[in-house]
Amino acid sequence: MNNLLKFTIGIFLSLGVAWLAFVVGARAQFGDLSPSSQNLDDDGNIPLDADLYPLPLSGTAEQGSKEYLALGCMTCHTQQVRMVEAGFDVERGWGQRPSVARDYIHQEHVLLGNTRIGPDLANVGRRQPDLEWLHKHLFEPQSLVPQSLCPPSPFLYDQVDQSSDKSITVVDDSNISRFIVPSIRAKRLVSYIRSLHQDYELPEMAFVINEEDEPDEAAGKENLLDFDSNQSSLPSWLDTQIASGKEIYMKAAPGGGLCFTCHQPTGEGLAGQFPPLAGSDWVLGDKERLIKISIYGLMGEIEVNGIKYNNVMAPPGIPPGSLTDQQIADVLTYIRNDWGNSASAVTSLEVSAVRSQIKGRAPMQMWTAAELNAVDE
Amino acid sequence: MKLNSEQIIDKSLKLVVCFFVASAGLWLLAAALFAYISAAKLTDPFFLSSFEYFTYGKIKLAQANAFVYGWGGNSIFAVTLWIVARLAQTESRGRVLVIFAGIIWNLAITFGLLGILDGHMTPHEMLEMPAEVWPALFISYCVIAFFIVVVHRSRKNKETIAPQWFLLSSLLWFPMLFLIAWNGLEINPARGTVQSVLSMWFGQSLIWLWLTPVALGAAYYIIPAILGRAIDKYYLAVFGFWCIATLAPWSVVHHLEGGPVPMWIPAIGTVMSIAMIFPIAVASTNFHSTAFLDISKVWDSLPLRFVIFGTLSYTISSYIGVIFSLPSVAKITQFSIINDFHFNQRVYGFFSMIIFGMVYYILPKITGNEIAKGAKAFHFWTSAFGVLILLLAYLIGGLTHGVLAQQPSLSWASSVISSVMPYFLITELAFIVLGFSQLVFVINVWKAIIPNPFAFWTCGDSQSKPETSA
Repeated sequence: MNNLLKFTIGIFLSLGVAWLAFVVGARAQFGDLSPSSQNLDDDGNIPLDADLYPLPLSGTAEQGSKEYLALGCMTCHTQQVRMVEAGFDVERGWGQRPSVARDYIHQEHVLLGNTRIGPDLANVGRRQPDLEWLHKHLFEPQSLVPQSLCPPSPFLYDQVDQSSDKSITVVDDSNISRFIVPSIRAKRLVSYIRSLHQDYELPEMAFVINEEDEPDEAAGKENLLDFDSNQSSLPSWLDTQIASGKEIYMKAAPGGGLCFTCHQPTGEGLAGQFPPLAGSDWVLGDKERLIKISIYGLMGEIEVNGIKYNNVMAPPGIPPGSLTDQQIADVLTYIRNDWGNSASAVTSLEVSAVRSQIKGRAPMQMWTAAELNAVDE
Repeated sequence: MKLNSEQIIDKSLKLVVCFFVASAGLWLLAAALFAYISAAKLTDPFFLSSFEYFTYGKIKLAQANAFVYGWGGNSIFAVTLWIVARLAQTESRGRVLVIFAGIIWNLAITFGLLGILDGHMTPHEMLEMPAEVWPALFISYCVIAFFIVVVHRSRKNKETIAPQWFLLSSLLWFPMLFLIAWNGLEINPARGTVQSVLSMWFGQSLIWLWLTPVALGAAYYIIPAILGRAIDKYYLAVFGFWCIATLAPWSVVHHLEGGPVPMWIPAIGTVMSIAMIFPIAVASTNFHSTAFLDISKVWDSLPLRFVIFGTLSYTISSYIGVIFSLPSVAKITQFSIINDFHFNQRVYGFFSMIIFGMVYYILPKITGNEIAKGAKAFHFWTSAFGVLILLLAYLIGGLTHGVLAQQPSLSWASSVISSVMPYFLITELAFIVLGFSQLVFVINVWKAIIPNPFAFWTCGDSQSKPETSA
């Protein structure tokens, strides 16, 4: 105790042992979980054609998670359904099954939270998918839940005098109507809230309650399906990804892609100058080529649907080449699924895989079509 | 007049200690204001709701950070600097650098809190201030800690005693904890819920390994110093110290009960929390069996009254903490406002009360200005009353909150949360009482440091006082 060095080593060891167990141990045990299918085949492998869960967040929702953090929502809301023996979260209708570590692997910042002054939000996107309801709740929670302690966020909305197709009508208990237009931040936040749902099974955790056992839950599920079918026949995660991609495609400000100026909002391009995206063999074809073009741009002669074009495409994004993996995934998913196109979605994991594969390439060194096709073969 | 050695040491410490105590006081007021706003927002959600800077979530975090790093950090520096120098019988070193580092520390916290209010917080428990301010905080901390260690190394008596173990270990644990957490959360971020384990481990360990040892060390110093008798059963102290050192880093993760992490993590936390009854019992025996030998003296000396309030609060609430770590209880109270009970009992009822006593003990010695007894007594009674009401409201409110949340048939907002509403109102009142109490404390402190604010800059008469009184 009298020798400072020995003393320091002693107290460092006392801390270090606990750190070894909790952090190194935990990291070794579940730090490299990867997405999995809902069920494994008989040999314990992921079936080849299965969808993998959890799904990555769309670009808009990912930005929404930053708003969620910045506004301090985590102080009152948790995002975890506890094990059945630890609490009645499942019975309360906060989830079909307890949350497991794998549910959180895509999140840059895990927002588990430790206090529930508000309800748990791990499955709020499934419980409450109604856009308008969520916007009203963010603007003034008390207009929907009179007893709510959730602070209103009027700063996320513009109040307008007249109702329009963009505005949402909020009626308070004295029957006065107000018309609000969500800001981009409110839209991101709502997109994030709607993306919160652990409504898939994983090999390590099956559903605890099934829809048939719980009439209320089943009714909720029906609403969800109705809601989706009003919008489109696509699953909601794909829907959000396409919506986010369209925003990037059409946006001419930092963070946008500026795609529409050449390829046009209709996806038809300009005859003789810019190739079309609608029905394009390049867009509907190999994803890797598309991702490469989206990262580095393209120059020189290219043949699309049998017609030759010769122009320069700078790396998309403002400033050029600034799109994140998720944004590229969103915008590619969008162009593969609009104007009559229909092809599989692109995930940010695929983009980052390609990005690391071509890491050595000099910045701004655009591809040529010949180069891309050569790689392809 | 010739000064004795203690007075020379005190004189060398005067400027640094006064600087840290004065800034700690200002942070205490800032934290009190944030605490009131956050409590008021829970009773009326429309309060200040149109300002984005004042959402409940931000204010609550700003309060915790101002309290722990602003008030806690500065007062830790003041108390540690003074006790370590006194026990080493050595004058303080590197005063200019220490003050400079202290200014950086306070500026960094100011920017950090503004960052939180502006929405740039990180999601890591007790590391919420934006990433940019942490290097400044860390480096300024290391500078201050370095000079404290230098003083300790040049001590006259090579034998060390309990206050030195606790103070030095707290001084060294903070940078270790910080580096571990910062590496795992920001430099090489862990994936998924490993982050949550690490962030919770840091947040809880910070209270257990940074604030707690300082308060315990201060109590080990001040009780024998004022009573003039040795700590009863002192031979247990070394056992208590190493129990805290080895058990506390393990006992802090039981909050993850039932969460999306491997089950062994909360299970170990629970086992170690139960084992914590040993160090708690040791500290409690040491302090209270000494103090109760001479209880009238404890009552008469205000600094000691604060300290014994703190140690009693430590004992009682730590045992309550052990009960709340049992899985069958934890699952009820886990996500309830009992978390605020744990935070406030440890940081306010225990740490701050001991620091108040310590400051009242140190300040007259180094400035030579006595603090009015009535003002101190007012501070004591309002603090004691406020803390008691606050903790009871959080405890009973937390139990209500937790028990009702376990009834799936009760609707959330209209049944569960509205039953807790009365307790939120009580905490709001308690924070008003505590705010006044802290204001009195800060006035006491500033008056002792600068007795005549208008004459201070022109003539240095306050500096000559200790010499004449000696």
